[in-house]
Amino acid sequence: MFNLKTHWLLLLVAVLFAFAAFGCGEEAADPVDDDPAEDPADEAEFEGEVLIGIMVPTTGSEAADGTDMENAALLAVEEINEAGGVMGHRVITTTGDDGCDPSMATAAASQLVSEEVVALVGGYCSGATLPTLAIYGEAGIPFVIAASNATSLIDENPGWGFMINSTGLDQAATAVAKFQELGVETIGVMDSGDAYSADLKEQTILQWEEAGYEVVADDTVQRGEVDFSAFVTTIMSTQPDGIYWTGYQAEGALLIRQLREGGYEGVIMVGDGSSAQELIDLAGDEAEGVLCTGPPLTDFLPAAQNFIQRYEESFPREPGAYAALTYDAARLLFDAMERAGSFDSAEIRDALEATDGFEGLAGPISFTDQNTLARSNFVILEARDGRWALVE
Amino acid sequence: MAIHEILIQQLFNGLLIGSFYGLVAIGYSMVYGIIKLLNFAHGDIYMLGAFSGLVFLSIVAPTIGAGWGSLILGMLISMLLVGLVGVFIQRVAYRPMLKAPRLSILITALAVSMILYNTIMLLSSGRFLPFRTEISTESFFLGPLRLTETRVVLIVAAFALMFIMHMFITKTMYGKAMRAISLDRDTCQLMGIDVYKIIALTFFVGSALAAAAGIMAGVYYGTIHFYMGFLIGLKAFTAAVIGGIGIIPGAMLGGLLLGLLEAFGTQIPFIGTVWKDVFSFAFLILFLIFKPNGLLGRSESERM
Repeated sequence: MFNLKTHWLLLLVAVLFAFAAFGCGEEAADPVDDDPAEDPADEAEFEGEVLIGIMVPTTGSEAADGTDMENAALLAVEEINEAGGVMGHRVITTTGDDGCDPSMATAAASQLVSEEVVALVGGYCSGATLPTLAIYGEAGIPFVIAASNATSLIDENPGWGFMINSTGLDQAATAVAKFQELGVETIGVMDSGDAYSADLKEQTILQWEEAGYEVVADDTVQRGEVDFSAFVTTIMSTQPDGIYWTGYQAEGALLIRQLREGGYEGVIMVGDGSSAQELIDLAGDEAEGVLCTGPPLTDFLPAAQNFIQRYEESFPREPGAYAALTYDAARLLFDAMERAGSFDSAEIRDALEATDGFEGLAGPISFTDQNTLARSNFVILEARDGRWALVE
Repeated sequence: MAIHEILIQQLFNGLLIGSFYGLVAIGYSMVYGIIKLLNFAHGDIYMLGAFSGLVFLSIVAPTIGAGWGSLILGMLISMLLVGLVGVFIQRVAYRPMLKAPRLSILITALAVSMILYNTIMLLSSGRFLPFRTEISTESFFLGPLRLTETRVVLIVAAFALMFIMHMFITKTMYGKAMRAISLDRDTCQLMGIDVYKIIALTFFVGSALAAAAGIMAGVYYGTIHFYMGFLIGLKAFTAAVIGGIGIIPGAMLGGLLLGLLEAFGTQIPFIGTVWKDVFSFAFLILFLIFKPNGLLGRSESERM
């Protein structure tokens, strides 16, 4: 077996690994919160300052989208300051990094609260946003949630969070409405086994059956599955008019190909998990005509074209999917402050609640009594000539 | 579709998937037979085959297109290249370990697997890549059976490769040497067989077959990914065990059987597609309990 020398060597390697892992963990946990968008310009013009917090993931797997969201909020702040600030006060910001992780988000939220922010914008990963709702609720700080949209957020919201992105319920409603519009009477549904896609599938089945139609095929695959022949065979024997895939693009592309090659000619619709361009690239010609219930991505908003230009002038990158919504969130917050006529958090909250048709890039914003967006902001996209295009 | 039509369709689907499993399982089984190594890197060799096929196609597509001609050429070239990679891996990673405890060589195989898929992950940025060909995807009917050109060619090619393999093992001197080494390596050496050369040849053939299966899977599914070899490696292992590990016809039979089990298993009510892998690995466990030597295996005292 091993001699003593090998033993020590193994131990050394193990210790090195442990250090490496520990080092990584520490690095990831370092919050980037010292990034105020201060303009060193003439401070004398302003009567005072008002501090708002931005909570997004700026490290970790979702850092790209998080950074886009932070940039979008900073752009909104820069613009309002150029226009004289909010009620003569200069807006300054502080960013908390939630790392798309519940425990990091909790720490970031406590930090933001202790910095005495007046209000907050941001919120990307629903899982990270969830535990912060109670923290902000307790501290009495209003939080305009730009992207997070899991239905679980609704129940956990103590009334200080305002969701300006539609939830899974709305997405299912959009899908059902589109199927109805196309004259579809029976559908087949499939999800990829994770909480998000399973929830969307369940909601769709519920609403579809409530509308008096039939679900003739219902199946689940695992993430990473490549072979859908069993589902395709079921589909070909039950012949539903439409198919709704609620999972992600890698499996979605394979499913689309295999359905079309298997001879299926009905409507194929995919959920927002598959709204990336990658779906079309992978599925190739077979993707043509596939529909998607997509979030109001920056690229597809007619009103956002100006915003995209300004964003690209300020930052050396394209605005990501949720930049427009975050920009809306920040502007809605400034609007609520003006309407409240005060920087008191409770009054801002009341003003947010009373929001009535605020014109955002992604459409008008009003809230339900659960503080969710009063309409579905999901859009229908169609794959045309290898690109997603907005269906009017 | 009536019930018998579904069954016929699933029979065909099962045979097609099963022939992919079979091709990969052959390499698994050969390597186990000859050096008693469960080559966990074998699934990644399959993945490597798919990627080298894609690279070849993307190079030649602008000049000679991506039809069957370039595909077959690409397959032969990839089989050669990946076969050589297999030999190289054998030379640097496994051969120095042949006299070491079996667990050491097993861990080496895991390391090789990680090196392979992490390399491809870095080269492909971890993305799913489309495997584009110019082959028609129009479907046609043969009785109740819905087929595409791709499916027919793939299943014919897979069975042809298996047949060639079978002839190679049973009818040639090299095949005979492989079988002899799997029975008793030391005696073979004493009898004047160049054992290391035959081991290298085994890796070459096994890797080439896996590469062929990888390209076929690329053509069939149209998408490839650096991690595509992981699951098929496990499935091929299952197939090899079901057929009797170390026995070449057993690997083919096991692959086909596993493909059929999955195809029909997923049609049983309440066992949807999501339970497919559970279904096949449950069979593996049943086989290990009740027939550990597999369908064609003889009893043997020691196994990994």
